Amino acid sequence: MSELVWQHETELVTVVTVQKKQVKRGLSVIICARMRRDLGLVLLLLLSAAVESNSISPPGKPVLVGCRSPEKETFTCWWEPGSDGGLPTMHRLYYETERLEGVFECPDYLSAGRNSCFFDKNHTAIWVYYYLTVVASNALGNATSDPFKIDVVEIVKPNPPENVTLLLEGREDSSYLHVSWERPHNTDTKSGWVTIKYQLRVKQENSNEWKEYMSGTQKHFNLYSISPGVTYMVKVRCRLDHGFWSEWTNTTYVKVPNYLRNEKPFWILVSTLSTIPFIAAACVLVMKRKYVKQYVLPPVPGPKIRGVDFQLLKSGRSEDVISAFIINQNFSLTTGSKDQTEEYLIVTENENGIADPSNSQKRKKSLIIPGFCLDSEPPILNDCEKSGATNQEIDNYVKSLSNMKPSQLPAQEQQCNFVNADATGHQTSNYDNTTQTFANSSYVDIQRHMENIQEVDVKQVDYRRVKEVNGDNILILPLNSSGCIDVQRPKDNISEDYSKVKVVDSDNMVFLQKEKVSVDTSCIEKGIYYTNFALQKPINTSKVEVCTEVINSEYVDTFSAPPLI
Amino acid sequence: MAQRKINGNKLFMIVLYAVAACSAVPISDLLDRASQRSDTLHSLSTMLTQDLDSHFPPIGRIIMPRPSMCHTSSLQTPNDKEQALQVSESDLMSLARSLLQAWSDPLEVLSTSVKTLPHPAQNSISNKLKELQEHSKSLGDGLNILSGKMGPAAQTISSLPYSGGNDIGQDRISKLTNFHFLLSCFRRDSHKIDSFLKVLRCRAAKLQPEMC
Repeated sequence: MSELVWQHETELVTVVTVQKKQVKRGLSVIICARMRRDLGLVLLLLLSAAVESNSISPPGKPVLVGCRSPEKETFTCWWEPGSDGGLPTMHRLYYETERLEGVFECPDYLSAGRNSCFFDKNHTAIWVYYYLTVVASNALGNATSDPFKIDVVEIVKPNPPENVTLLLEGREDSSYLHVSWERPHNTDTKSGWVTIKYQLRVKQENSNEWKEYMSGTQKHFNLYSISPGVTYMVKVRCRLDHGFWSEWTNTTYVKVPNYLRNEKPFWILVSTLSTIPFIAAACVLVMKRKYVKQYVLPPVPGPKIRGVDFQLLKSGRSEDVISAFIINQNFSLTTGSKDQTEEYLIVTENENGIADPSNSQKRKKSLIIPGFCLDSEPPILNDCEKSGATNQEIDNYVKSLSNMKPSQLPAQEQQCNFVNADATGHQTSNYDNTTQTFANSSYVDIQRHMENIQEVDVKQVDYRRVKEVNGDNILILPLNSSGCIDVQRPKDNISEDYSKVKVVDSDNMVFLQKEKVSVDTSCIEKGIYYTNFALQKPINTSKVEVCTEVINSEYVDTFSAPPLI
Repeated sequence: MAQRKINGNKLFMIVLYAVAACSAVPISDLLDRASQRSDTLHSLSTMLTQDLDSHFPPIGRIIMPRPSMCHTSSLQTPNDKEQALQVSESDLMSLARSLLQAWSDPLEVLSTSVKTLPHPAQNSISNKLKELQEHSKSLGDGLNILSGKMGPAAQTISSLPYSGGNDIGQDRISKLTNFHFLLSCFRRDSHKIDSFLKVLRCRAAKLQPEMC
């Protein structure tokens, strides 16, 4: 600006001197000096006015954007100029290195384009720091950027690989894509100065995701997972040592031809043919299903009860069943061998006659199924066995038996009890005399409340002496409150009676004659006892006239009334 | 008779030499392994400096000491590609070994003082430093074996003592600054070692041009 002012001043001075030629020399000098100063001031004012009105200014601060070396031998730096202040502005780049003393200017402003500085091989040093600054200058002033520190090895970013080619290779059913490329031409890998690693990415045309693969230092790559009829897009990039990745190459396209259709009919034929034997096997199986069933699921052998015909049982005619049971018994009235061990199963009884929860538990277990208690053979008895009885109960029974009068022995009732198998041995001696009398008897376990067998109460389970069985009907002797056949009674009421059935009224009613042998001999017709047994037919009863003859009279005894059976 | 004996001895020596040569691992393979290890070393050091810079205020770099004050800067190394390619193999090996040897002590100092470094990524930095030391040691052992096969010139090691002592700094700023400075010096030196070994590898792999 000072030059400008000086320039104008000289012009003005010359103009002034020319115009004022007539003035005396001395006066002209004085005028010149004064006018010079005034003119300078005027010009300054004018310029400042001009500056304010046209906004010209010193340049803004430039900013160094970055530097890059494509092969570790040269590098380029770029900057971003600030505002130019409305005047032509010049930018210069200066640098210092830590090795060389002094400040140097950029050797090449042109090769790399605008606002750049290119350092060629002679000016590039590796493993040294460069400190760069850019100075922007125009007529009004300078502006210096912040210092930028770089080491060439840290700014390495190569050019992208070149000449990416795609080839389809392999046979039709196992083809693959062979991708190959070349290294960027300005890198020197031969001497080992740089080591290039490649990366490629592949995408199907209609997909959105790129799949990336590392290729190491190889300049080729095989893609095996390709689908026919699809267009693939491939890009490759590289990097030197540990530098930055280059830009991706332009996309290369390849379309895989569609050849799989020829194979379809073949596979259809193969699958059809292979299903034929399966269908044939299935047909054979269906036609011969009976044999197959017999072979695969052989019939389960039925239960073997000695002397019992299973088929007979299955057919369901109970009279035959019962006769089968009975006929097979080995009852002989004469033989009373002491060796014959009678096994009786004792129902769980509490000595106190009080419902004992523990005993009731046992009773639950033991009295669930009403069944015949037969003493002929141990195996059958075992069927009747139930758990739960204790030795105490066995003792009870033993005592009860011993309490009985000898005369009653023949008429002695005998309860069909259930005991544990290991307790059966205790009773053998007691029953020798009574075996025969009662060998023929059958006992039925009656439960009063059949609806909830599991929780039957102690007192409600009774045993009744069956008078006779006729077909589906079972004659049952009633329970007397005084304890005719009361299993739960305490031991003073052990004496039990057998009652004769007086009459059977209907399907469900049986009249029994109560005879208390110990008390008196009067006949007491006792109550009706209802059972839940399905008595479908009326039973012919045999009447007994005289009660006193009870001892000698018939008792309910199935064998004594054969015609009824 | 004596002639036959000498010939027999010669034959025996030749056979022995051939056997020894055949059973030995070729140098190119050894160099390949060594350069892979130095590559790992350099990438570790780069990651370490990045970890440190992630929380390091960039303003602090301005007041850093100039890198020419690295304790290894007195070693004359090639400055560009032409110079590097003119150095002989033995000298390249010697330079690499000297640089590596010069860093065993400073790495130890860094490793012990990282525990008191006031930096959020201190754990990660400490682990990487340990890894760095291991790799450095195994690379040194490998280079010892290699230099034994390359002749006496490769075996000379220039001594570059570390004069910083055991102290990294007293206050937080100086600690971080010194740490950063040392790590950037190491990063540069590990890059030098890596470059020299890769040049050596390509020179030895004349029979396998695909390696380069």
